[in-house]
Amino acid sequence: MAVITVYREPGAMGKEVSARVAGHLGYCLVDRARLVQLSGEVDLDEARLIKVEEAISGRGAEIDAETEGYARLFEDLIAQLAEEQDLVVLERGAQGLFRNRPGTLHVRFIAPRKFRISQVKEREGLTGRKAISLIRAGERQRARYLRLLHHLDASEPTLYDLTLRMDRLSIEQACGLIVTAAREMGISQTPREKIVENIVSQPLQKRSGARYVNAAESEFARFLSFYHIPFQYEPRTFPLETDPDGRTIEAFTPDFYLPDQDLYIELTTLKQSLVTRKNRKVRKLRRLYPEVNIRIFYQRDFYALMAKYGLLSEMVSDER
Amino acid sequence: MNDKPNGIVEVLIDRETIGQRIVELAREISTAYRERAPLMVGVLKGCVLFMSDLVRELDIPVEMDFISLMSYADMRGPSGAARITKDLDCVIEGRDVILVEGIIDTGMTAGYLLRNLEARRPRSLRVCAFLDKEVRRIVRIPIAFRGFKAPDRFLVGYGLDFRQLYRNLPYVGVLSDEITGLNRR
Repeated sequence: MAVITVYREPGAMGKEVSARVAGHLGYCLVDRARLVQLSGEVDLDEARLIKVEEAISGRGAEIDAETEGYARLFEDLIAQLAEEQDLVVLERGAQGLFRNRPGTLHVRFIAPRKFRISQVKEREGLTGRKAISLIRAGERQRARYLRLLHHLDASEPTLYDLTLRMDRLSIEQACGLIVTAAREMGISQTPREKIVENIVSQPLQKRSGARYVNAAESEFARFLSFYHIPFQYEPRTFPLETDPDGRTIEAFTPDFYLPDQDLYIELTTLKQSLVTRKNRKVRKLRRLYPEVNIRIFYQRDFYALMAKYGLLSEMVSDER
Repeated sequence: MNDKPNGIVEVLIDRETIGQRIVELAREISTAYRERAPLMVGVLKGCVLFMSDLVRELDIPVEMDFISLMSYADMRGPSGAARITKDLDCVIEGRDVILVEGIIDTGMTAGYLLRNLEARRPRSLRVCAFLDKEVRRIVRIPIAFRGFKAPDRFLVGYGLDFRQLYRNLPYVGVLSDEITGLNRR
């Protein structure tokens, strides 16, 4: 799906423009409120998000492993969302997370400091000093996400496809520029295979024209082939929900189908805490298609399978 | 029992329990094959301890043979296919065959072997598994004689290995995640 990442200098009106772009294009805006809402669906809560934000806002050079783990879980959540719907993502290291992903537009909002201070003062009803303090904290937090999670410098201009100087543009003009850029770059039309090809570091295996989304799927396909188990890769998409016009608005495509077993297998390499949404989709599929036999092969199942053949430590080191 | 080797975190099935269950299994098999002298085909190497104990408890005449399949662990190139590395010495056409497995989990190995053996047209072909880890099943395997249902943990001992070790333990133990690498997932 299409993704627009946003990096805002605090006070540069980036959020206002982003919300309008999301509304205009029909994309989901991933801001703090949306993250809190989504985290309720998985085993994360707002307290953990606050912990991450506080740690990342701090002045220390490093964050502890637990906090970094939480930050990466939130990133995983965003990455999972991007598999399902078009997004406009505000910060959270999204420029690093989706850095080389086709179908992505990276936007930065900038403005002179004086302009931004006046914006923050007006919007938040703050004194000049408090506005400056808020801007500094925001700058620090946004830059540290990228530095700590992706070792990237937020001020590096090549991270962005489009930089908008907001003291020279109205919100409408900025919105129009981003929408035009998204359309001109065709980010909504980027085929899934191209996205996959570019975000997976491991070489992809090809079989009967199929490409596998990640190394786990590729390994699983090799495993099936080894034992001469006939299978098809993503042969069928099951519509789960349609709008009043009959258009599919939610669907599910299991990864593998084993005709001899009449069994669909969905292989997920998501962390256990993030499979709730996938579980919900599978439950919905089972309810709508009771004749379909489907099994989720979780990350732990996959690792257990590899461990059985003594391959796990090898895999872990390969992944790193 | 206190002399567990490194990496064994729990004894799941002790030797006494194994012995009792094998007596019961042998009785079931002896009853089912009363007049038929079946051929017991052991799948190497996981079956070795189980099969040797089992056949000693049978009170019917049986023949024994063994078969071995290349392990997936031995295939680390981009592609490859399983092949039989040690085939049966006897002809099974028209015979009553019992395939004896140490453990069946995904069912891949047993499924492959059943397809292979069925093609040789035995009179009957049934499966006897010491452990049945049904929770991990991908390929459906009809198990006629089952020793124990196994939980979804990494089990070794009584013929079951991790990188060829632990097979000689007289009990079924749970191997630690530190040894298998599962702790690093």
